[in-house]
Amino acid sequence: MPIISVVLHNVWKKKARSLGLALAIAFAVMTVVTLSVVGDGLEQSATAILKVGKANFTIVQKGVPDILNSTIDQGTLTRIRETPGVASAVGVLVETEKINAANPVFIEVGISPSDLKPFGVTVVAGHPYSADATNQMMLGWRAAQHFGIHVGDKFKANGTVNTVVGIFSTGNSFGDDASMFPLPALQGYNRVPGIVTMVFVKTVPGVPVSSVTRRISRNLPELSTITTASQFGRADLTLVFVKAAATGSAILAVVIGAIIVGNTMLLSLFERTREFGLLRAIGWTKTQVLSLVMGEGLVLALVGAGVGVGLSFAAAVALEHVPALIGVLHAHFTTSAFWRGLLTALVMTLLGTFYPALRAALRSPLDALGHE
Amino acid sequence: MNGPGAASVASEPIIEVVDVVKVYRDGNIRALDGVSLTVARSEFVSITGPSGCGKSTLLNLLAALDQPTSGVVKVNGRDLRQVKDLSRYRREEVGLVFQLHNLLPQLSALANIEIAMPHSRGRSQSRAERARDLLAEMGLASAERRVPAQLSGGERQRVAIARALANDPGILLADEPTGSLDSASVDNFLQLLRRLRAEHGTTIVMVTHDNEVAAAADRTIEMSDGRVVMAHVS
Repeated sequence: MPIISVVLHNVWKKKARSLGLALAIAFAVMTVVTLSVVGDGLEQSATAILKVGKANFTIVQKGVPDILNSTIDQGTLTRIRETPGVASAVGVLVETEKINAANPVFIEVGISPSDLKPFGVTVVAGHPYSADATNQMMLGWRAAQHFGIHVGDKFKANGTVNTVVGIFSTGNSFGDDASMFPLPALQGYNRVPGIVTMVFVKTVPGVPVSSVTRRISRNLPELSTITTASQFGRADLTLVFVKAAATGSAILAVVIGAIIVGNTMLLSLFERTREFGLLRAIGWTKTQVLSLVMGEGLVLALVGAGVGVGLSFAAAVALEHVPALIGVLHAHFTTSAFWRGLLTALVMTLLGTFYPALRAALRSPLDALGHE
Repeated sequence: MNGPGAASVASEPIIEVVDVVKVYRDGNIRALDGVSLTVARSEFVSITGPSGCGKSTLLNLLAALDQPTSGVVKVNGRDLRQVKDLSRYRREEVGLVFQLHNLLPQLSALANIEIAMPHSRGRSQSRAERARDLLAEMGLASAERRVPAQLSGGERQRVAIARALANDPGILLADEPTGSLDSASVDNFLQLLRRLRAEHGTTIVMVTHDNEVAAAADRTIEMSDGRVVMAHVS
């Protein structure tokens, strides 16, 4: 009988043990994949703001814990605009507001109407607000749909009742979930006159982006230039901490899972000592006994990984609906998350199974046969 | 070969045990104390004696499940201490039958035989065919799907013999194989062993404390306090 048949047979026949182990693996995989998916989702949400403006790179204040805490004054914005190689620099103020319990993190962007086009904003209904208007705003088409608002309707934000004069599209779901206000008005609502959160820069065609970013970094060392999403962490320490916490929790989950698997396998193998003694007595090699036990672990790892990934999908979707995370967390399922789940299951099973398997394989057959 | 354990038939010895001593680790128990004996090819030998006389220890040495403290155990002319691949020896040269718990409870009768052929080069179909043939030879053709709990004690021992013979070994080693059987099953079991010996030329060494069972063999070796004290032809 091939060992794989015995492996499958044992896993199937010992259903309670198999189920317990597969669930232990599944919960660890679920933890790791969910944390990974949530971490990636938060990063996606955070970096999505960079993609709203159709810029070559973005500039924020260096060393802020949260990118939304970045402050760049008008003078600095002017110096950026005057930097050789810069074609345009659009300064925007980004604020968040709790509209109600179901919409705890509503994004508000303050931007001059003349910058809308360079920023990549298309007004799809109505018209842009005027530059110095105080009670006008625009809604992204997804936000308008979500709130059931049309052009001409009223929308309360920043403590004032605003008229929605236009509906816009950015081609980016994050941007389309947001709202836009005249820059001075939003600065006034938030008591930050002359301040922007970030600057979206377009370079002169033919000028290498890297040469412009180097120049800005040299002339304005208090700023960070972000060209790729991976550079985002340089400017946003919260995201770094979130990802570090997710990684730490994932490692912890693997270690706890491995201990559970190892403990259960040890107890199970202790009960099966005679079985292994018998197999060795009838001619199975140590390697074959090792393969049998590791093979059982591998099958359970695969089952656990499958169940765990399924559970993580459900958990991430559930997290998306937690009030505090609505609009902030968009679960980001990628192929790598699934591979991470499988790898987690395999590493955990290998860690948890190898020692018990080795013990079973190395025990003298006579000693094992005499085990009660 | 001289002494009470010498082979009574003048044919080629397949098993030679020379002055074997087995002392357990704590040094207080001398399980075997200078045992010498030979078993001829195709001979059916029973080893008998009271509990603790060393008969199972001797069988374990023949099965290469244990090693002697001193002395030589030769099988097919080879000193077992020189055999590098003991798993292969246990798989191909000897077949083992134990008294109790010798089948895996989760596997069917057929699968219990098939697990003795993990190295079999043939397709799984040929392994299954070999296992079916053996079950048929044991009179259990209809029991292949039954698990041990669904078999009688006698049927379980016959499955165990089939498993021991799976790789066609020359020697069958049985440790108290009738210990858990009723008298009718014992008779059937002994008939089966005699038939195996007659039809396949299998050498059989059977350990038993039951003198009536021992009498079924060609020769009985009696042990006491770790020594061979008497050998007689049935």
